[in-house]
Amino acid sequence: MNKHVKNLTPETTDLSRRSFLVGTAATGLVLGYAGSGIDQALAAPAPANFEPSVWYAIAPDGLVTVTCGKADMGQHVASTMAQIVAEELGANWKDMRVQLASNDPKFNDPVLGAQITGGSWSTMMNFDAMSRAGAAGRIALTEAAAASMGVPAGELVVRDSRISHPKSKKSMSFAEVVKSGKATKTFTADDLKAIKLKSPDQYTMIGVSVPQLDIPLKVNGTAKYGIDVMLPGMVHGALVTPPVRYGATVKSVDDSAAKKVPGFIKAVTLDDKTTTTTGWVVAVANTYANAKKAAAALKIDYDGGPNAKLSSESLLTEAKRLQGLSDSGQFFVKDGDPNAAFGTAAKVLEAEYTTNINIHAPMEPMNATAEFKGDILHIYSGNQFATRSGAIAAGAAGIDPKFVVMHQMWLGGGFGRRLDADMMVPAVQAAKAVGKPVKVIYTRENDMTMDFSRPLTYQKVKAGVDGDGKLVALSHDVVSAWPTQRWGIPDFLSPSVDKKGPLDAFTVNGSDFFYTVPNHYVRAIKNEMAHNATPSGQLRSVAPGWTFWAVESMVDEIAHATGKDPALLRVELLDGKGKNDGGAQRLRNTLLAAMGLAGYGTKKLPKGEGMGVACVSSQERATASWTACVAHVAVAPSGEVTVKKLTVATDVGTQVNPDGIRAQVEGAALWGMSLALFEKATLKDGGIEQTNFDSYTPLRMSQLPEVAVNVIANGEKATGVGEPAVTVVAPAIGNAVFNAVGARVRGLPITAEAVKAAMKA
Amino acid sequence: MPNLNINGRNMSVEAASDTPLLWVIREQLQMTGTKFGCGAGLCGACTVHLNGEAVRSCQTSLADAVGKKITTIEGLSAKGEHPLQKAWVAEQVPQCGYCQSGQIMQAAALLSKNTNPTKEEVVAHMDGNLCRCMTYSRIQKAIMRAASDMRTASATGSERRAT
Repeated sequence: MNKHVKNLTPETTDLSRRSFLVGTAATGLVLGYAGSGIDQALAAPAPANFEPSVWYAIAPDGLVTVTCGKADMGQHVASTMAQIVAEELGANWKDMRVQLASNDPKFNDPVLGAQITGGSWSTMMNFDAMSRAGAAGRIALTEAAAASMGVPAGELVVRDSRISHPKSKKSMSFAEVVKSGKATKTFTADDLKAIKLKSPDQYTMIGVSVPQLDIPLKVNGTAKYGIDVMLPGMVHGALVTPPVRYGATVKSVDDSAAKKVPGFIKAVTLDDKTTTTTGWVVAVANTYANAKKAAAALKIDYDGGPNAKLSSESLLTEAKRLQGLSDSGQFFVKDGDPNAAFGTAAKVLEAEYTTNINIHAPMEPMNATAEFKGDILHIYSGNQFATRSGAIAAGAAGIDPKFVVMHQMWLGGGFGRRLDADMMVPAVQAAKAVGKPVKVIYTRENDMTMDFSRPLTYQKVKAGVDGDGKLVALSHDVVSAWPTQRWGIPDFLSPSVDKKGPLDAFTVNGSDFFYTVPNHYVRAIKNEMAHNATPSGQLRSVAPGWTFWAVESMVDEIAHATGKDPALLRVELLDGKGKNDGGAQRLRNTLLAAMGLAGYGTKKLPKGEGMGVACVSSQERATASWTACVAHVAVAPSGEVTVKKLTVATDVGTQVNPDGIRAQVEGAALWGMSLALFEKATLKDGGIEQTNFDSYTPLRMSQLPEVAVNVIANGEKATGVGEPAVTVVAPAIGNAVFNAVGARVRGLPITAEAVKAAMKA
Repeated sequence: MPNLNINGRNMSVEAASDTPLLWVIREQLQMTGTKFGCGAGLCGACTVHLNGEAVRSCQTSLADAVGKKITTIEGLSAKGEHPLQKAWVAEQVPQCGYCQSGQIMQAAALLSKNTNPTKEEVVAHMDGNLCRCMTYSRIQKAIMRAASDMRTASATGSERRAT
């Protein structure tokens, strides 16, 4: 288990003889959640002042332990933070270690002011803070070494955890300096800000594919995930979830058969005032196997609630109805007057694009372990949003959030699923009910049917082209559940352009693309029915996973309607005019790179094969990584699509760990392909129909295409890589299918039946 | 009380004979390297060896494991230096890492019989093991690297024996 940082004596400005700490803190963000009757701000405010910091410590043996406030779910972010610190600190990579932070606000993200991991934000938002923390350590060590050696600090060279004075040939290791107790420099916020950081040409660590620090633990079974937590006296909980995704209530629980299961302790019906869950029951027993047996033996009578008759079809019908209303939703983008421009356009294209419900399904099923110890509630769980999840745990326990300690674990996959806190509720309430620590593990069936899924989406796009074939107007309506609004945190919502109140930009991000279109609007329309029936979450890449599906398909449709090459039309639209200056050019260059790498347009492909392109500015306009894809597919007469190759280029500005970036981009691209072709969940009678990996079927090894990844590092600021490549693949495949066989499919996933039907049309 | 032979040691456990071996290993023996993924034999995260064969421990009862040699990721090699484990590090395979114990155990069963598999044989053997991070291409590369290392080691070993 990782060390619990919260219980360590906080280091102060007095840099001790044993170790010293340097770093930064953050400004605050007030958090709360929408719920029934609990309205106080639930998260402790972040400190307003800089405090002596927290991001790493150097022990007398010279080992540097970086504390990572980010959830590590396979993106190796802890290792990345260590790498950024090591660059400025001058430490040898073999001396670097990582540990995972607790939910103490001192570990909050320096930009976001909370502990949340998502949005492909971590590297870009922590690069500066970790660099300055590392540099401050180097300065403190250097000054101490100078005093010990009796030489001017300015003549010292720091490299590989050693401080040397070339003139006198004297040198000291970091370990020796720490042991000397002379490293006593402290830094104020202004001091930190004033530090001159290295320029990229001075980097010796950033841009190097050093081995990820978490990998050795993950090949011998010693990495500890939430599911691996064992506490003394702990008992086990198995869930019984209702047939309806949300809104059911438990009418009665008959535990007479469960009582005959050896080791059975109690059936706990959740009373969830946080409204995260509805109608859940936990069977608690001495072992998980017995808890599962007891859970199966419970006879529970439900009231299905208001959503019990809803299906995917009802959600889609409602979405179409909402889109048809002139006063629906709020404007996310409003440039010029598209409706007027359609009136004078030479050609108007209209199309509807849809995506089905998608399930996160990380390999580690949801779980949490709760233990009440004195006044403190301890939670052990791999979680992406410790700040809010701690508040939900507190809400489930009926205590103040300041009494909750979240022990972070390695995450057996996150993909956005572990931004949610539902697993806290059964663990906390079962632990409270039986007076012992309880670990609750979801079955795969619980995990899939109770996912905070990517919502079903419906988009209507209308494009107007003038007599010269120039795109002059685009309207784009996006109808979906609103995953981020569900958090109840105003700071995560955005003002609407038409001042009709805040909107959930995490449903429309991406639609504010970098193409120049003089008349352009985007409406964000909340599908309340879907929002209530299928509480949605942030699934790897969130909105750009559907908005670019629509935009990048439509751009292709425009190209074909105007007789242009789809890739060259994009180059033309990425002219960098006005607000698109800078980003558009980077995206254009990235697209050209992908085209070059894929040999786009250079050879005639066999019958039934085609290449398609797409390019995106995921995740958000302000945090974009410039990403382009060329998909090469073969389509069988049956409509079955085989992806032969995905060529992905991405401009990430600065790459910290090139091999790690390639791993992320490849994984993200394959996620995109899996969502494009293989993953589909459906709602029927208010419940998710897919329950395990036989009916919900992510990509397997036999379906792996060739993937070529090219990373462009042009010295701009580091951007994120965990998500953007997810969003570019589906439209690239859809466009490739069209180029191969003339079949335009506008719904995800692209099934053989849909392709075949479109081929005939 | 049933006795299990696991990673070369005999250990007695207290559980009903129909308990899935997975939960006996994880909870009773507190060896948590073997993971729960689906409970239905669909993902491979719980793969262990029973007499050298890769099996899904979530689909194997305690009764079925008694009297057989069980090997988990913890016992694959004494110091975690099985050629596959070294190759997994060399190729930087794991992302979240949760499925990787099962991937390695599944691959180890293949290489114990065939140190020169074709790519097709690797895919056919590994297709039941899901990786949600989609590290498949690195898994393939690592298996090929380990196979090559095992062939080299065995060739070197024969030469030594010959001289």
